[in-house]
Amino acid sequence: MGMLNNRMNLFVIIVGLLLFLLPFIYESRTLLILLTQIFIFAIFAMSYDLLLGYTGIVSFGHAMFFGIGAYSTGIILHRMESTIFTVLLSLLVGILLSLVISILVGFLTLRLKSHFFAMLTLAFASLFLVVAEKWRTLTYGNDGFTFPLPEFLRDRTYFYLVSLTFMIAIYFLLKRFTESPFGKVLVAIRENERRVESLGFHPLYYKVIASVVAGTTASISGSLYVLSLRFVNTSVFTMEMTLDALLMTIIGGVGTLIGPIIGSGLIEFAHHLLTDLASISPIFERWIIFFGILYILTVIFFPLGIVGTIRNRISGKGKKEKYAKKTVAG
Amino acid sequence: MEQIVNLLINGLATGMLIFLLAAGLTLIFGLMDVLNFAHGGFFAWGAYSGIWFYGVTGQYVLAILFAMFVGLVLGALTEKLIIKPVYGNHIQQILITLGFMLVLSELLKVIWGPNQLPAHAPEWLSGSWLIGDIIIIKYRVFIIVVGLIAFFTIHFILKKTRIGLIVRAGVMNKEMVEAMGIHIQKIFMLVFMVGASLAALSGLLLAPYSGVIYAEMGMDFAILAFIVVVIGGMGSFTGSLLAAILVGLSGSFMAYYVSELSIAVNMLLMILVLIFRPQGLFYGKG
Repeated sequence: MGMLNNRMNLFVIIVGLLLFLLPFIYESRTLLILLTQIFIFAIFAMSYDLLLGYTGIVSFGHAMFFGIGAYSTGIILHRMESTIFTVLLSLLVGILLSLVISILVGFLTLRLKSHFFAMLTLAFASLFLVVAEKWRTLTYGNDGFTFPLPEFLRDRTYFYLVSLTFMIAIYFLLKRFTESPFGKVLVAIRENERRVESLGFHPLYYKVIASVVAGTTASISGSLYVLSLRFVNTSVFTMEMTLDALLMTIIGGVGTLIGPIIGSGLIEFAHHLLTDLASISPIFERWIIFFGILYILTVIFFPLGIVGTIRNRISGKGKKEKYAKKTVAG
Repeated sequence: MEQIVNLLINGLATGMLIFLLAAGLTLIFGLMDVLNFAHGGFFAWGAYSGIWFYGVTGQYVLAILFAMFVGLVLGALTEKLIIKPVYGNHIQQILITLGFMLVLSELLKVIWGPNQLPAHAPEWLSGSWLIGDIIIIKYRVFIIVVGLIAFFTIHFILKKTRIGLIVRAGVMNKEMVEAMGIHIQKIFMLVFMVGASLAALSGLLLAPYSGVIYAEMGMDFAILAFIVVVIGGMGSFTGSLLAAILVGLSGSFMAYYVSELSIAVNMLLMILVLIFRPQGLFYGKG
């Protein structure tokens, strides 16, 4: 594991450096925008992986935190002057709101069994969507609103670098978090919650902290997302957002952190390519259906996802197969 | 007075639609511990296929039967291809049914296009009756009647037939039923198909009531059905009827008097039930 881990870190650092250099070597506006989008969704998907892959919690309402970050940033930049200071302030406000809400929702829902939890998070997220639609004075309802960006973020290259930095920083922070003793307890909860309890740990406390970390991370990705669009509307709270994170995490590989990044790249790239094909056949307009089918097949046949399956082949351990089957199997 | 009667009928009609959706959900859960997040997909498929069939043939009653048939087929396929491979794994089940929901609603868009489609009630169900000063819309009464017929039919099957006995026993203790030599997997398949068919019926009934159909209608309504299943008690058939009427009525009255709060009230009810009475309000009533 240690060897694999070091090689992995090295790999991430090298790819990261290449990505940092990319805008100076190869100039393509479309590619920059696409990659920025990938980085932002990778952050969102990694935050989801913390819940699904590491702690074994299935939330269908993760878009709620994405949306909180998105609207915090949107509303603050729309109402106040647009400077570096207000951008940071808006990120912070999103994080704090997500913190409070994830604690409240967590204590209410995390003691429930997986079915009820999934259902209740779905319902909570739809409640946020309704609020965003109805509170027109603040959100302008379905239509949403645009807002100005401070000078330095208007440059696409600069924003690309900022998003990349965020993604890499969050990757290493979450990696550190999941490898800490705390993270080990989370994995233990996923494997066997009752046993963890009988060892004297309090699973609810650990699960709430996990959902707080996941929620605040998702909020950051939501903020970055609307910064990249300079626009926000109610779509940030929809089920589709949660589904995106779910597809990216499952297809990329649960419980790996690198998997969600690859999943994000795969889905965003495919989105880009397949939408171009829409002129050939309208079925490509509904490209997400391919990923839906791929997702179902992954859950049945490759519960480890891309990264997990490859990692398994390399290390050649049968032991891990069982372990990861449990990841998705609970 | 007129307003109250109308709200009452609205609430009952919505309640019946939610009940048809929740009935399958609750029985499937009670019998096999499967919470089917794709259930709303059957609902939307019922609406689209039924409205399409009605457009082609002009026969509303046949369209209802057709939608229910589509539900049966979809239910059978789903059980065989989606539920069975991951049977017994809760998290995989939850994940896979939601993924299937996505596929079902995207398929609708592939076949019928991504835009909303209009839906109308047939001639003989349009219009309204005038009783005293009160205007009663025919179609809403029709929904209530169909809902009641469905409820009493299933209630009769559950209480008076051998298969109903097995289903009820399975909800209580499926290991014991299996030990008696009954192949519960087959019973489950049947219940799943009937549940899907009821969901499809509900979707088709809703279509002329709301006037438009769209692919996401499944998820919107499924959330209400989940709320009903929780309030009524998982696995309780009668409980789901009572809870559906409660949710339907509170929805219609709230929507009239304080429209902003209507969904919030139902959600709040569900959260309170989950925290204080997780077995449901009507648990133990069959």
